[in-house]
Amino acid sequence: MRCRERVGPVIRVEDVHLRFKAPVLKGVSLHIPEGCIYVLIGPGAAGKSVLLKCIAGLLRPQRGRIWVAGEEITALDDLQMMQLRKKIGMLFQNYALFDLSVGENIAFPLRRLFDLPQNEIEERVAERLERVALPGIQNRIPASLSGGQKKRVGVARATIAKAPVVLYDEPTAGLDPVTSQKIYNLIRDEQRAQKSTVVVISSDVAGALTIADRVGMLHRGELIFDGTVDEARTSKHPAVDQFVHGKTEGPL
Amino acid sequence: MTTATETNAMPTKTDAEAEVRKPGAFQFYAEELSDLLRVTIRTFYYIVRGKREKGDVIRQCFEIGNKSMFFMAVTMAFIGAIVLFQMCMQAKRIIPDLTMIGGMYAKLLIRELAPSVGAMPFATRVGAGIAAEIGSMVVTEQTDALRMSGADPVDYLVVPRFVASVIMGTIVLVLGAGIAYGAGFVVGVTTFDINPNTFINFTSVKGGDVALGLIKCVCYGGIIALVSSQRGLRTFGGSEGVGIATTQAVVGSLFAVIVANFILSSVGHFVFPP
Repeated sequence: MRCRERVGPVIRVEDVHLRFKAPVLKGVSLHIPEGCIYVLIGPGAAGKSVLLKCIAGLLRPQRGRIWVAGEEITALDDLQMMQLRKKIGMLFQNYALFDLSVGENIAFPLRRLFDLPQNEIEERVAERLERVALPGIQNRIPASLSGGQKKRVGVARATIAKAPVVLYDEPTAGLDPVTSQKIYNLIRDEQRAQKSTVVVISSDVAGALTIADRVGMLHRGELIFDGTVDEARTSKHPAVDQFVHGKTEGPL
Repeated sequence: MTTATETNAMPTKTDAEAEVRKPGAFQFYAEELSDLLRVTIRTFYYIVRGKREKGDVIRQCFEIGNKSMFFMAVTMAFIGAIVLFQMCMQAKRIIPDLTMIGGMYAKLLIRELAPSVGAMPFATRVGAGIAAEIGSMVVTEQTDALRMSGADPVDYLVVPRFVASVIMGTIVLVLGAGIAYGAGFVVGVTTFDINPNTFINFTSVKGGDVALGLIKCVCYGGIIALVSSQRGLRTFGGSEGVGIATTQAVVGSLFAVIVANFILSSVGHFVFPP
């Protein structure tokens, strides 16, 4: 357990409601301590990605409040939110790499959010690529990379600003088990190196729990479990028990 | 927060499955117009205060202008030839003398036909491209990634397209006017035996006609980029959503151009009398 719970939550979600055509989040409240890897699990369409986008400030809940790194993001306007993005990195489920070279993709947040000289940006891009075990591919284009490589480039882009909060949306979706575990290890190593607070959304429970400090489970827009990994594994809640152990019989 | 917290019961299905009533047509169009206004205001804000990427406007100028040139040239040539042919046919019924037709055609072309009719093929070519490109970025979460990287999609995506569309739209439509005039000239001289020296007659074209034509070109270029970008940014869903956004971008751009033409022509009638 590396969470610094006495410091207080770095991410606080209070009674968040959001609906599109139907309700997606129904009164979700969540506290994530500083320096914690929080894994949010749940079946498809449970509202995991929507909650993550609310925490990132990409979606605005219709009710409820969210604090990230000491700022109430639900009270910020778009321009203020843009400044707060220095404190949040994010990996997207579908990579979301731009039609730029790998180096330009990774450097993009640095160029937009910080006023750094070009040589420093290039050094940091090279360092990030070394870190994700893809050295020297700055000039390649994302279309020429494999799924695993794209995820690594996404991790490099999400962590280049050394943000105190990093969000990962399904970081291993579509990857083989070996590559998946490598991505999880990379997330854990990055979190330890940067002492950041990390939220990982995953449907791959077995892999995700290997790096988790705390676990939450969303089901039909409600947080039905919030606890440690051991508590998740021994939970008597029928949905949690079924999902964590991959049982076919149960309420899900 | 060291102990697990669990809710007592499973979430009910009824809420999740409850469909919300769809917004009415008035509410839908009101929301769309307000969003278009928001995109327009932000575009002008970022033209002044935005962070430009090196070469982004030039790249868009090439995409919007150069790549539209052949399509626009061919389209305007056919339009010019057909309109001149019809003008001559109708004129001959009233007055067999066609010596004035070249001058009248030039005035019609500069004041109305080239900007307004030329904006139609331009909107289909450019509007569809802009909406499809931005829409596919939305559905692959690239616009979210832009926001997370500190780049407002309006600043990064819309502004270069808007500036390029205004510049290249004007250039393409002016060139289109020239091509349409040339095509009309060929039809007039070869089919109706109009004297070439008589046809090339710009005495009836005033400075106000040219000014109104140029104002229309600038406005239509901007309108097409804004409407198409707004549709692209509102894309929802997957590839089907991109298709819907593209269709709506073309329809919306054409509709906006027609409405703008009515307004500009009405105002122009008093400001730049024909």
